Amino acid sequence: MKIGVFICHCGENISSTVDCPRVADVCRGYSGVEYSVDYKYMCSDPGQNLIKNAIHKYDLDAIVVGSCSPHMHERTFRNAAVSAGINPFMVEIANLREHCSWVHDDIEASSRKAIELMRMAIEKVKRDKPLTKIKVPVTKRVLVIGGGIAGIQAALDTANAGYEVVLVEKEPSIGGHMSQLSETFPTLDCSQCILTPRMVEVHQHPKIKLMTYSEVERVEGFIGNFKVTIKKKARHINEDKCSGCGMCITKCPIKKKAYNSFEEDLAFRPAVYVPFPQAIPNIPVIDETVCTYYKTGKCGMCLKVCDREAIDFAQKDTMHVADVGAIIVATGFKLYNIEKKSGDSKYKGYGEYGYGKYRDVIDGLQFERIASASGPTSGEIKRPSDGRVPKKIAFIQCVGSRDDSKGISYCSKICCMYTAKQAMLYRHKVHDGEAYIFYMDIRAGGKMYEEFVRRAIEEDKVKYIRGRVSRIYEEDGKYIVKGEDTLAGMPVEIDADMVVLATAMIPQDGAESLARTIGIPYDKYGFFNEAHPKLRPVESTTAGVFLAGACQSPKDIPESVSMASAAASKAIILFANDTLEREPVVAKVNEDICAGCFYCMKVCPYGAVEVKDVKDMNGIVYKEVAYINQGVCQGCGTCTATCLSKSIELAGFNNEEIFAEIAAL
Amino acid sequence: MNELIKHARELLESGEVAAVIGYRQVSAKRTKPVIITDPEETSALVFNEYCLNNLAVYLTKARIKLLCKKNDKVLKLAITAKPCDVHSIVALIQENQIDRDTIHIISFNCHGVAKDFGFDFNGDNLASKCITCETHKPLYYDKLFGEVMETPQASDTAIARIKEIESMPHNERFEFFKGEFDKCIKCYACRAVCPLCYCQRCITDKTIPCWIETSSHQRGNFAWNVIRAFHLSGRCTGCGECDRACPADIPLSLINRKMSMEAKNLFSFVSGRSLETPTLVGSYNEKDNDELFM
Repeated sequence: MKIGVFICHCGENISSTVDCPRVADVCRGYSGVEYSVDYKYMCSDPGQNLIKNAIHKYDLDAIVVGSCSPHMHERTFRNAAVSAGINPFMVEIANLREHCSWVHDDIEASSRKAIELMRMAIEKVKRDKPLTKIKVPVTKRVLVIGGGIAGIQAALDTANAGYEVVLVEKEPSIGGHMSQLSETFPTLDCSQCILTPRMVEVHQHPKIKLMTYSEVERVEGFIGNFKVTIKKKARHINEDKCSGCGMCITKCPIKKKAYNSFEEDLAFRPAVYVPFPQAIPNIPVIDETVCTYYKTGKCGMCLKVCDREAIDFAQKDTMHVADVGAIIVATGFKLYNIEKKSGDSKYKGYGEYGYGKYRDVIDGLQFERIASASGPTSGEIKRPSDGRVPKKIAFIQCVGSRDDSKGISYCSKICCMYTAKQAMLYRHKVHDGEAYIFYMDIRAGGKMYEEFVRRAIEEDKVKYIRGRVSRIYEEDGKYIVKGEDTLAGMPVEIDADMVVLATAMIPQDGAESLARTIGIPYDKYGFFNEAHPKLRPVESTTAGVFLAGACQSPKDIPESVSMASAAASKAIILFANDTLEREPVVAKVNEDICAGCFYCMKVCPYGAVEVKDVKDMNGIVYKEVAYINQGVCQGCGTCTATCLSKSIELAGFNNEEIFAEIAAL
Repeated sequence: MNELIKHARELLESGEVAAVIGYRQVSAKRTKPVIITDPEETSALVFNEYCLNNLAVYLTKARIKLLCKKNDKVLKLAITAKPCDVHSIVALIQENQIDRDTIHIISFNCHGVAKDFGFDFNGDNLASKCITCETHKPLYYDKLFGEVMETPQASDTAIARIKEIESMPHNERFEFFKGEFDKCIKCYACRAVCPLCYCQRCITDKTIPCWIETSSHQRGNFAWNVIRAFHLSGRCTGCGECDRACPADIPLSLINRKMSMEAKNLFSFVSGRSLETPTLVGSYNEKDNDELFM
């Protein structure tokens, strides 16, 4: 075998602490090395040409490049080798920069280390085998998890590009939080009015398969070839028969047992319900936990009034399997529960603000419902406790957010804007009312956002007080809001009729378990991690899984929508190819010696290990061994490390190669 | 004993099992394993305090598995197993080496065995594993014999020895094991006798590349014994056969027991005790102790 050695100076990055010409000289003396040279920038065009010309001139079989991390230029050098006629896997990179020059300053010692690193790579390349890339087909269908505005946008964009979409929503209707909002900043257009046409479009789109009241149970496979198991929860209504007439809802005798979660618990709903009138699909759900039929076996009023015989008390959860090539996760957010007992040990509640104790201390989403024309008060601003119109409202920003002592240090980003909007809406509806906003800073970065806040202050006379609120307590039917005006340097007290808390955005319930189901990382709060904070903001670190909306971090509507379109375009880019090329670095089982303990199967994070029967000459199965599906294997090497009899080898990193590297040290 | 013989005879005569793996008496205080396929030979079967061998080791042997293949039909294998040997059978089932449906377990209420052949059975000569044994009745069986009897009282010296070794300074402990492993002659009796060492090719027999030196050199001895300990961590059921088989008297069961204690302390896991509990290796639980991560 003839090996070429190429030592890169990386400008001065390597050469300032490694004597590159000396390394090249020493390498020239190793057996098998036909040619050895150093050069200022091996990744540059002339550098690559140096490699290509050497391969031709010296008839090289393999090359070793001493340069930066393989993360940076392995692909560059492999491509150079390919264009000169060498298999790309006959190229080894010795990391002389991150592993050597950057972390040492003694030229003599780091040069010796560089020589050692080179020798290891040379020994490995001698044992390398040419490998060919694995081609796997792409299933051109997308799974979108979450039917909020982000999920809706991602589904529509992908479907309009001509690809099939499976949209899974855990609630009975799509729409998400946006459907609950009254009006949206900074234009004050009605949220439902702009959202519902999109919802209808999703419902009618021939390429979108909508699965509401469903959850993703299991995800197997890999980019281009995911197999997803979806649990469709029992609605107890036959979807094919139901016409959505709503007679069952009207006649249901359960009136005041279940809080209406769409109305943020400000109203009740029957045991059979649709979340809101514009729900998509307009098919009710029977809530087993409150329905009399499930408790006593009697009632069945809905059954009697349904002329389509759509009520099906015996309906069970069903499992559905979908093959998809990409997954877009858009599970959104929920609001931080500020009660003293927050239910989540990660966060401390805000007992001092009396939420949960005082009925007129509400959160932002509850105010949205009160201000909404379709809400429990038909859009009139009224106190939940007695229905009186509040003459003085205190809005408090950053409740939960930006407060390390309560467990969340991030900014929830949307609260400055929606609080300004809510104060504005209040002033529009209650002309003699006073609105006070306690704030830490006003963060109004965005098109027309700052102008919007100024409008609230200047035109709508909303009074902004810079400072935190220490306590809220009830006195003579008023809520005394004690705080500090840090600009005036004085304590303030507002005797408000109602208090609205702009509570922190936190990930939707179950986000962490979903992340584990799919196999994507998340941060300490449960927000999903993007692959790169700047350059790959909509991709997860798992290939083929993309992120959209507030499941990644707090976001407003336009950001969620643009992220959703970006995620959709990532999926569409993936579908531009009929097959995907995968690295051939995959594990392979030596069937002769595999003892069939299947520990590899237990540890494989990708489900790539299968059982294979080994038959004798007469076709009789005489043992079971592990078999690794090359299309699924990601080459992580966990099975290789686990295998007790060392019957599994990872191509490109086999035992012999690794051993030779160690022995060369 | 007649019941055991009668049962074994019935199993063979009915054609339900292909062979009975059991013990036969060879002298007053010594038994040997026997594999019986002829109903007439079942009269040799015994069970007593000198049935030391863990017969589960035979279940994975290819030649014995072959006995079960008759005219395209798979017959069962019957095995006489002490309750502690049943732990090994459980581990083998969990590691896919045998199928519970094809094994007929004949077990006994056990009150302990002697530490080796030739010793009187009493508290002084009780096998180490029997001193702390908690399973006098087998956890899984198809047929149970034997009366419930009191185990002789004895003190557990092994645990004190482990504590003593644990408390040694690092270099002293290293010297101790170096001294012990120096005795190793690489006969691999420990491997041959271990039911869980069922690999068709042991890593120590791997030659390309040769990870473990096969000569009885200090380095090779160390590598072999340490690898053996790690490969059995969380898997060893504590039958103690390696210890008994070692001609060099290396305290192998101390090492295995230490590793089992770690598995129990860190993950509340004891190998071979339940078919339902997932194996320690290859299972992950969010509540797992993660102090081991560096």
